[in-house]
Amino acid sequence: MVATDTPATDLRDRRSTRIPAKRRGSGVNTRREMVAGYAFLSPWLIGFMVITAIPMLYSFYLSFTNWDLISNAGQYVGFRNYVRMFTQDPAFWNSVRTTVTYAVVATPLKLAVALGVAMLLSRPRRGVGTARALFYLPSLLGGSVALALVWQALFSRAGAINAFLAWFGITGKPWVNDPQYVMGTIVLLGVWQFGAPMVIFLAGLKQIPRELYEAASVDGAGSWRQFRHITLPSLSPVIFFNLVLETIHSFQIFTSAYVIGGGQGGPVDATKVYTLYLYLTGFGESRIGYASALAWVFLLAVGLLTVVFFRTGRFWVHYSDGDER
Amino acid sequence: MTAVLPRPVAAPSRAGGPARSRSVGGTVLRTVLVLGLLALVLYPLAWLLAASLKPNDEVASNLSLLPHAPTLDNYVRGWTGMQTISFARFYVNSTVIALGVVVANCVSCLVTAYAFARLRFPLRGMWFAVMIATLLLPHHVLIVPQFVLFKFLGWIDTPLPLIVPKAVATEAFFVFLMVQFMRSIPRELDQAAKVDGCSPFGIFWYVVMPLARPAVVTTAIFSFIWTWNDFFSQLIYLNSPDHYTVPIGLRLFVGGEGQTELGPMFAMSMLSLVPVFLFFLAFQRLLVEGINTEGLKG
Amino acid sequence: MRSVPTTGTPFSRRRLLSAAVAVGLGAALTACASSGPTEAPAPQVAAMETGPVELTIFWWGGDARAQLTHQVLALYTQKHPNVTFKETWQANAGYIDKLNTNLAANSAADIFQLDDNMLGGVAARNQTLDLSNYVAAKRIDITKLSSSLVDYGKVGGKQAAVPLAENTPGMVFNKTLLTSLGVEQPQIGWTWEHLISWAKDVSAKTNYKTYGTMDPSADYKALWVWLRQQGMDFYNGNKLGFSEADLTRWFQLWKDARDQKAAPPADIIHVANAGDVTKQLVVTGQAATSFMWSNQMPELAKSTKDTLGVVSYPGDPKGQWARAALYFAGNAKTTHPAVVVDVMNFFINDPDAGKILGTERGLPANTDIRTSVQNSLTDPNMKATVDFENQIAPKFGPAPNVPPNGQSSVRTLLITEAEKVQFGQLSPAAAAKEFMEQAALKLTA
Repeated sequence: MVATDTPATDLRDRRSTRIPAKRRGSGVNTRREMVAGYAFLSPWLIGFMVITAIPMLYSFYLSFTNWDLISNAGQYVGFRNYVRMFTQDPAFWNSVRTTVTYAVVATPLKLAVALGVAMLLSRPRRGVGTARALFYLPSLLGGSVALALVWQALFSRAGAINAFLAWFGITGKPWVNDPQYVMGTIVLLGVWQFGAPMVIFLAGLKQIPRELYEAASVDGAGSWRQFRHITLPSLSPVIFFNLVLETIHSFQIFTSAYVIGGGQGGPVDATKVYTLYLYLTGFGESRIGYASALAWVFLLAVGLLTVVFFRTGRFWVHYSDGDER
Repeated sequence: MTAVLPRPVAAPSRAGGPARSRSVGGTVLRTVLVLGLLALVLYPLAWLLAASLKPNDEVASNLSLLPHAPTLDNYVRGWTGMQTISFARFYVNSTVIALGVVVANCVSCLVTAYAFARLRFPLRGMWFAVMIATLLLPHHVLIVPQFVLFKFLGWIDTPLPLIVPKAVATEAFFVFLMVQFMRSIPRELDQAAKVDGCSPFGIFWYVVMPLARPAVVTTAIFSFIWTWNDFFSQLIYLNSPDHYTVPIGLRLFVGGEGQTELGPMFAMSMLSLVPVFLFFLAFQRLLVEGINTEGLKG
Repeated sequence: MRSVPTTGTPFSRRRLLSAAVAVGLGAALTACASSGPTEAPAPQVAAMETGPVELTIFWWGGDARAQLTHQVLALYTQKHPNVTFKETWQANAGYIDKLNTNLAANSAADIFQLDDNMLGGVAARNQTLDLSNYVAAKRIDITKLSSSLVDYGKVGGKQAAVPLAENTPGMVFNKTLLTSLGVEQPQIGWTWEHLISWAKDVSAKTNYKTYGTMDPSADYKALWVWLRQQGMDFYNGNKLGFSEADLTRWFQLWKDARDQKAAPPADIIHVANAGDVTKQLVVTGQAATSFMWSNQMPELAKSTKDTLGVVSYPGDPKGQWARAALYFAGNAKTTHPAVVVDVMNFFINDPDAGKILGTERGLPANTDIRTSVQNSLTDPNMKATVDFENQIAPKFGPAPNVPPNGQSSVRTLLITEAEKVQFGQLSPAAAAKEFMEQAALKLTA
């Protein structure tokens, strides 16, 4: 914590002279902050309660039933959905495996490319703005049917990718229609949309004072050391943000798998990622009870992962507001 | 923080110093790299553009880049072909909703993020964790109870279910983004303002908000784009065809057993890129110009 | 807000309550009814309303269908000025999601469109208006519809929906290609084996650029026809109507076809398995035939420059049947059942309506209308389709039961298992075994 706690500052704030030295945590200032805190938080709190919390609790309740969207016999079935999921449902494990593989591969790749290109573009030269906008284009169309169709065309047996490989004498596979390779094409589709994290990295890069770099190179530090000791630490809150959110997003991948897999998670369930499986169960088969159970397991698993991120983040994320949490 | 930016990894030092003679080579290398990447990244979009120029019966059968018989027919048909509604209607609806969401998100996420990032109050940690948790629940399970709620309010078939939740900061993504940005703003500024007699609200208004501009701009951009492309929620909440938005409209071209109009669909997809791209271009200038931080020093 | 599912047995308090309401409503309406049969477990026939009524109506389709439907609805309002409509329509993608969400929240339209994949599920949840009494009271006139077609709208003995149009399985083939190769075109009555050996020939002649036939082993309707030709059916009540051994034979049949290169390799088949009309092999040029519904032929023709033809699936034509391409169903909770029924009747039986609708949804269900529409057709593809349907109609077998609740899951399960065989991940026997086990689970929910 910084200056507030020193008596010198307190004296300048006339209101706080009433605060006894040993009880700095309480008093008008703190109370004012508490009130302000809740005041600023109130829109979110209200929204959360009404729009999110109640549906969340409702879906939690539903996960213990076998409701099929309109009840004739939406019976309470206890933990049966959860038990069935873990012990009797190979499709569940398939979707877990598919999703985790995707997240583990696509996220680091996407962030690395995003950071690399952000750094390439972070110097103000002619055309950088245009290049930046162009790299961002894929993210604009990201979730669209049109693009997934394009991807299917490019990566199919007779598509452009194979034509390109043929120049090198390689016979390409039918990437997008082969259960072994189709997730690879989806990973590529995800990484291709690196424009979004790139923009965030760019914003973060802009916040790093140039003086730091100048001072470092005066001291003789080369670009790699500058990267390691200035760029990375200064960017660490943004890297953290991108890492957490890209990971969460990759676990939630839906649209590209949905369209490329033909709406059913094919071929042979190779693209049936977790949220797709959930959607097909809940809406396709109208088994909302089971789908709710799937949703809560997802929340717990990814929530746990996020907690791990936050805990370990303490060790490498450097906040300049001194508020390490 | 001025507009000059930190050096990227691969390039040698540029700040007037010893390595200047190497900088030309480095620049060329970098340029080549960027151009190469651009070509790779833009190819699928080029393909999409080319596909939109192919006559409808060629789209499915001709998988190469160039059309055999280029035509603008798809654009004409896509725009005017629907006799019951014009695609322009979808555009207008999408724009209204997207702009509404942008404003709602920027305002609400900003105030919420300020609370989490800068103010101390009981249970803050818990609420923050809860907020992050809301990111994690797949929205397909929430949609049924939420639909019931909005039906009760009589908001079905209006843009309200799509905008109002954003006005209460339900997009945890942006709250989190702004929190992270705010935490990079040095606390000394807050202290200085407090010393000058600012209330928390004053600090928010005079210090934090202006400095969080990159985060707000980023939020605006992403809000617009995600809303523009959001199919499922818009499908569920909008009933009348003349309230439909672009994503729903695009799918009308690809009916399973209905009209198969891939050509017009690709054409309209290209067109639907335009507003988004423009929005992005306009706002990214704010990112480019950077922040004037004269006030930070001294 | 719909109440939350209660604990206990199926005969929950909620169900009793809704039954009580239905009976009460029925009783109230009967009091004003001028005619109508007494005493039925189904809703009583209500009197036609004369006050202003606004009905909501929901269907899927493209712009053309929307236009035509709108015209018919406008025509109805002309003839019955007290009835107006609020129309909602959209693409097929997401239709059932939207419908289910609306049904769950009790805000679904008064009339909605369904197909035989959706009907079983929706009817099993008692969400469709029971039309049995209305049909019996001739509020919906079915005299001009083939009885098997009407029966195909019955679920659990009740008339859950009425057919709007008819189609039947149709194998679409590429006439242009076959003519250029000098091979004969598929005929009604070819055996499956003959098709495969013919296809082998075609593949060889094109140097394996175009294969002879699509492999329909993942397609529930092909399996369905094949089973019916052997005296079985896909479903027997709520269970599957065939055995593991039968399914193994089916998978094996097509494995052999692929091995002989009569059918293309798995990755090509996979694209067509999803059902999208633009991706069918007959239009992408990767196979000479595709297994579709008969009225999809004109649609397919739009995606290719070649001329297409349509014929029945291989095997005895008695395996085919008059399928309702689409239905209209009433919302079980509608407050205007009499008007709903009248509108449905109008769509099916009114000659002017029939003329407007044409063959856009399929062959008109009413045979008189069908004849008159036929005579005014101009599109050669549509003509060919109608000719084919007329040709095959006398050979149909009896209508099967409407697929039960769980059908859409079974359908996708078949795709998954068939693809496992196609991609060589499982043997036909192993895949069949998996299918039987999983399908049993999906049908018992």
